Amino acid sequence: MAEKGGNGSSVPSQAVKYSLKSATSNRASAKGKDDSSGKPKKARKVQFVSEGLGDGIFGFSSGGKVDSLLNKLNLGKGGKGDKTGKAAKSSAPKELLPLELRFEHELPKHAKCLMDCEATEILQGIQEQMVILSEDPTIKIPVSFDCGLQYAKNGIHYADRASVRRALEPLTQYGVTEGEICVIGNVCPETPDEVFALVPSLKAKKSKLAEPLKDVLAELVKLKKAT
Amino acid sequence: MFLKVQLPWNVIISVEDLDAKGLMLQRSIVIRLLDDFACKKATKDLGYFLAVTTLDSVGEGKVRQHSGDVLFPVVFSGITFKLFRGEILDGVVHDVFKHGVLLRCGPVKKIFLSNLKMADYKYVPGENPVFLNDKLSKIGKDVTVRCMVIETRWLEAEREFQALVSLEGDFLGPVSQQVRHITGMSPRRCSLCK
Repeated sequence: MAEKGGNGSSVPSQAVKYSLKSATSNRASAKGKDDSSGKPKKARKVQFVSEGLGDGIFGFSSGGKVDSLLNKLNLGKGGKGDKTGKAAKSSAPKELLPLELRFEHELPKHAKCLMDCEATEILQGIQEQMVILSEDPTIKIPVSFDCGLQYAKNGIHYADRASVRRALEPLTQYGVTEGEICVIGNVCPETPDEVFALVPSLKAKKSKLAEPLKDVLAELVKLKKAT
Repeated sequence: MFLKVQLPWNVIISVEDLDAKGLMLQRSIVIRLLDDFACKKATKDLGYFLAVTTLDSVGEGKVRQHSGDVLFPVVFSGITFKLFRGEILDGVVHDVFKHGVLLRCGPVKKIFLSNLKMADYKYVPGENPVFLNDKLSKIGKDVTVRCMVIETRWLEAEREFQALVSLEGDFLGPVSQQVRHITGMSPRRCSLCK
């Protein structure tokens, strides 16, 4: 089966070394701007594949999706597109919009987001059964189980996990999506500013969300457990 | 992000495992399902398969003509893990290079944070290379870093995901575990970083 990029473009199966140019040595201009208005002071080739990364560890080498990715990393090149691939869609120099969470567009059917604390509860329940399960050699546990559980457990610890979802529910009436609620629950921001910084898709609703968020975040802090 | 998914699946039971008593048949279906699920590892749509939680329904078995095996259409629920563009994650650094660092997050082992996406930080070579900013905030091996996912990629042959992340933005950066332990507060980008 041919490997396809997210937008349907095909990606070569073999890893290809690619280079990108960092157009400026002034790191301050790279800060969140990625704008092309500054002229490159010093062009420099940066090869990701060298220096022990291994051949093709990141074969983000060609295709429309990757070109747009390279353009994001390509500073001050004027947005003309990388030589290695087709011209990127974002060919006109413009300020990149902040990344927005788009779970709902990418979520498969019959799938629901879970907060880390909810996943921890489920996976820990399975782990408790592991002793019994492991006695039967015919029962196989997925290789990703341990890593997944460890990651979930390293998240925010809430004393009462069920209440977390209830505490966040009021946000849905303001148009906050399931995915956004999960991110807020996972990060447990302390202020509305932190929420809007980490979930830029909520900025459009800032005026109506700011107050309810304060109440919700205060509730989350109460539910948090000091470790 | 963890996902709870409900999936249809075809479980094939060989003739030897069929049992008229029924309970052993159900066991065979579950075992086979767990086996298939574990072997799958990951898919592009659902991410990494972590665990089966419930067997929701078992349909009528259909005999496969050539082998005599029986195919049971089932529906089950499970937990998967997948990274999404724009998501905030806490990754742990496992390799440091001149042009960036590699992090892992759950089952995703290859998450790359480019030096171009942590503009405050400069590479400091040495036996244990690190990235350091003006305020001596460090990104090195085993440091947990809160970052935002820029892009993800599915590798069909390896059945794994890779991701690119960024520290561009407020409240992103190394996470202090000590702060969390002492105060019970959520990990914050170190105040020294700004």
